[in-house]
Amino acid sequence: MIGVGKIKQYSNVLDKPLSKGKQEVSLSAFAFLFSELVQYNQTQVDNISELERRLEDAGYAVGARVLELLCHRDKGNRRETRLLGILSFVHSTVWKVLFGKVADSLEKGTEHEDEYMISEKELLVNRFISIPKDMGTFNCGAFVAGIVRGVLDGAGFPAVVTAHFVPVEGQQRPRTTILIKFAEEVLRREARLG
Amino acid sequence: MAPVAPRSGDAIFANVERVNAELFTLTYGAIVRQLLTDLEEVEEVNKQLDQMGYNIGIRLIDEFLAKSNVSRCVDFKETAEVIAKVGFKMFLGVTASVTNWDADGTCCSIVLEDNPLVDFVELPDTCQGLYYCNILSGVIRGALEMVSMKTEVTWLRDMLRGDDAFELQVKLLKQVPEEYPYKDDE
Amino acid sequence: MQFFGSSDISPSPTVPTASGNNAHMMYVFNRNGVCLLYREWNRPLRTLDAQQDQKLMFGLLFSLKSLTAKMDPTTAEKGNLGVPQLPGQGCSFHSFRTNTYKLSFMETPSGIKLILVTHPRTGDLREPLKYIYNLYVEYVAKNPLYTPGTPIRCELFNTSLDQYVRSIA
Repeated sequence: MIGVGKIKQYSNVLDKPLSKGKQEVSLSAFAFLFSELVQYNQTQVDNISELERRLEDAGYAVGARVLELLCHRDKGNRRETRLLGILSFVHSTVWKVLFGKVADSLEKGTEHEDEYMISEKELLVNRFISIPKDMGTFNCGAFVAGIVRGVLDGAGFPAVVTAHFVPVEGQQRPRTTILIKFAEEVLRREARLG
Repeated sequence: MAPVAPRSGDAIFANVERVNAELFTLTYGAIVRQLLTDLEEVEEVNKQLDQMGYNIGIRLIDEFLAKSNVSRCVDFKETAEVIAKVGFKMFLGVTASVTNWDADGTCCSIVLEDNPLVDFVELPDTCQGLYYCNILSGVIRGALEMVSMKTEVTWLRDMLRGDDAFELQVKLLKQVPEEYPYKDDE
Repeated sequence: MQFFGSSDISPSPTVPTASGNNAHMMYVFNRNGVCLLYREWNRPLRTLDAQQDQKLMFGLLFSLKSLTAKMDPTTAEKGNLGVPQLPGQGCSFHSFRTNTYKLSFMETPSGIKLILVTHPRTGDLREPLKYIYNLYVEYVAKNPLYTPGTPIRCELFNTSLDQYVRSIA
């Protein structure tokens, strides 16, 4: 019978070796899956902000797990304690694992001390989507905002994270900015650490 | 001019854009989790996953056809082989095999040993009736329906339930050739 | 149905200027006869209202498919005229040409029918139609905000299509 004897049976999923993270699926498979996530949530809500919130919540769970996975696999269980450290982790390591590249840019907000922005010319989840006019400012990047929030929260840097479209001169499609607004306690701790 | 032969799954997979399987796995996990929270009943979640799969299948078929150059969907045996060797490879990066053909050639099993949907997953006791990968059965059913094949897809073996592989039974119910769609006498 | 002979009797229309789009119009139908897309770039004469025009086009192609399969001299096995066919069964026609236009056709096994009407001197458009099918897959099939079986309202698809058709005509 097919399959018998070919695979080592693990009685407990925790005993299975952690994959190296090199396996791939087609971008389409992800696009279709993500599309279903959006469509399912559209049926569960009455308005755009609810939809964004649900996508964000879905992303949050992904973020929390990504943090665990990466800390264990890539960082040898070391923990980031400084703001710039965790931002760099998100902008480079997390982005590289999830999207195959580091984020286009990481900037500090000019108007507020507690704001930072990670920008992407064309966020993966927005690539196949053209938002109809009646959906206003809806941005599927809310899912990614959720992932970032999950990572930051799990690492001890609570923040409010949102996704925004920012029109760019000379570009037909706007770029997406993930806006991170850290909680007060994070800034206070950062100041204490010097 | 003779029709172009279908491309191999490996060739297509090498040429499409790919993403890290972990993003895929974790996103799927998020979906299942959302459904369990919203619907609570495991049977309802199974149904919803199948429906979602169906919604994906009816769109995915066009990508499949566009990239694989398949132009004929007349023979079920041929179709099942193409799903296993080309379909699974070009989307999930894994190959499946086709076995257990019945005498009429209308029922077979598709067996998957590698399944990117289930990395890191263990079913808790409260979800024992859950067919975690039920989205796959919907995808196959939806895709086949778009090429005029009505099928029934069920799970025979599920690794999350202790079996040694993932086995889907695909049964061809009927083939529906294209009819003139307009009802009036235009 | 290529028109042999000189064009003295019915002169072919003037070649469109370089800035104009050489193509006349495009239709996309699904298996159920729903017109998913109708795009017009250059159509001086319109005789029917949009809905009738689309139905006529669909009906024409449906009959042509059936007819060409029935008239196929190379196969022994042929159903009666009008018998519905499975995807890929029988032969498939891909274009016809008159003295004023050329109609190119492509049908996928999933029932998506692409029709492009162009200037009669256009070459074989089978590869371009396949490319347009790929555009459909990228911008329509994969768009979560599009419901299959309904008319296409994707800006990205429309612009990419316009650009591509302009480049091939």
